Order: sequence, then structure tokens, then C-alpha cells
Amino acid sequence: MMRKPKDDAELADFGRFSEPALLILVSLADGPRHGYSMTEDIEAIADVRLGPGTLYGALARLEARGLIEPLKSEDRRNPYRLTALGGRALRARLDSMMTVARTGQRRLASA
Amino acid sequence: MNWMLRLYPARWRERYGEEFDAVLASQRVSAGLVLDVLGGAVDAHLHPQIRDSHSEQIKGDDTMTLAMLQRCAAGGPKLSPSERRIASRLTILSALVMAVLYLVLTKIYREAPAAQAMLYASIFSTSLVYKQIAYLRKRSWLTQAFFLGAGLSAMYLFMLAVCVIAGKL
Repeated sequence: MMRKPKDDAELADFGRFSEPALLILVSLADGPRHGYSMTEDIEAIADVRLGPGTLYGALARLEARGLIEPLKSEDRRNPYRLTALGGRALRARLDSMMTVARTGQRRLASA
Repeated sequence: MNWMLRLYPARWRERYGEEFDAVLASQRVSAGLVLDVLGGAVDAHLHPQIRDSHSEQIKGDDTMTLAMLQRCAAGGPKLSPSERRIASRLTILSALVMAVLYLVLTKIYREAPAAQAMLYASIFSTSLVYKQIAYLRKRSWLTQAFFLGAGLSAMYLFMLAVCVIAGKL
């Protein structure tokens, strides 16, 4: 088995929050967003509506590992943005997924 | 739905409470949403991502059972980490003692009301013990032991009366 790049490993121990965390990172790649805006964006891009329990479980993990950071806000809807580490982790994970997808498609085409 | 936020740890609520509430308010109430919030609360207790100076001391006692017992006492006085540890350990100890008493009474009296009453009393004893310790923590050990003994005895006698009456119906 190929060894995972280090940045990709940042998302490896998220358990059931792994997929929501990835979707959050993808959403924040477009710029800072608050929780409600993230759920709307994720529903639009992946047809998945994250509940608040799942959303904040994933957000707390991402923040604790320094992959995202909160921005100052005057109202109660706190926006978050991707950190440099979060950007690298997202890129590594997407590259890894792309490799799997290309391999799968190639094998399906030749089957 | 706002009451569900109280199921989360205090530190978590301080950090995410307001924004969580805003997202929660924007969603349509459904069974799936309730399960999601409950699952998030369990996760927040079992895998706290927010650390503070007390977190390492609390960690050893931070099991699901203790977290739920501490939730039951949420309306009571705020306990220090060491007071929480003592209350939690005494609660577990009292549950074990009542379990042993139930086994002994069952061995002697079989399914008599005396044994059944101990089983029912033990169900409520954990909450009673934790709350009594929380409220009486500033009193002497003698006072605490007296009220604890009186409370548990009263509960046992009440359950015994219920079992006796139920047996005659």
C-alpha cells in the first residue's frame, strides 16, 4: 500500500467526521464562511445537508488541528477561514482522491 | 430546540453555543436533526476538542456515565474538579453497594418486596447521591453521611411501600 503524504494524514483520524470535514474544507476554499453559509454551500455542491451536531463536531476538530481558524465577528455567526495547513491538507486529499478516481475510471474503461 | 444545547459541555457551549444556535434555528425540526444534535452532544463529551487548565484533571473521570450524571446536576451548584471527582466516585460506590445489597436480599428473600424495593431504589440512588453531595459539600462529613443515609433509607422505604401495595393489588 502507498504511504499517505503527511498533509493528507491530517484528515485521517477524523473517523465519522472525515467526510464532513473534507466538505467543510472544500467550502472554505472559496473564502471565509460562517456555519449556516457552509451548510447551504455544501448542500449545493454535494447534495448533503449537514446537521449542526455533525457540522460543529467537524469544525471543532478542524480548528483544534489548525486546519481552519475563526475570524472576528460582530454578530453571533462566527466566520471561519482555511489556514495554510488546511489548504495543503485539502490539496493532498483531493490529489489522493483524484488518483483513485482516475485509476477506477481507467480500469472500468478497459474492463 | 434550544434546550438541546444544554446537553453539550459548558466549555463547548461557551465557544460554539451562539453560532450553533443560529445554525440550529435555520433548520427544519425532524427526527434526523434531533439525532444529529444528540450524537454531537455525546461526541462533545467523549471527545472534547476544547482544552482548558482543568481538562487533564477531568479526563480520568470523563466517561459517558459521569458526564450524564453531571448533566443531571447541571441546575445545582458549580463543583470544582476535585469535588466532581469525589462526588462521582461516591456515586459509583453507592451504586455498587446497592447492587450487592440487592443480590444479598434476593438470595435471602427471593422475589419478596424487600428485594424488589432495593432494585428500584438503586435506580434513583445515583442521581440522589450525586445531588446530595453537590449541595452538602461545604458541610461536615458527619452531616453529609447523615443526610445521605436518611435520603437513601427514605427512598428504600418508599419503594418498599410501593412494592408491598403492588403485591396486594
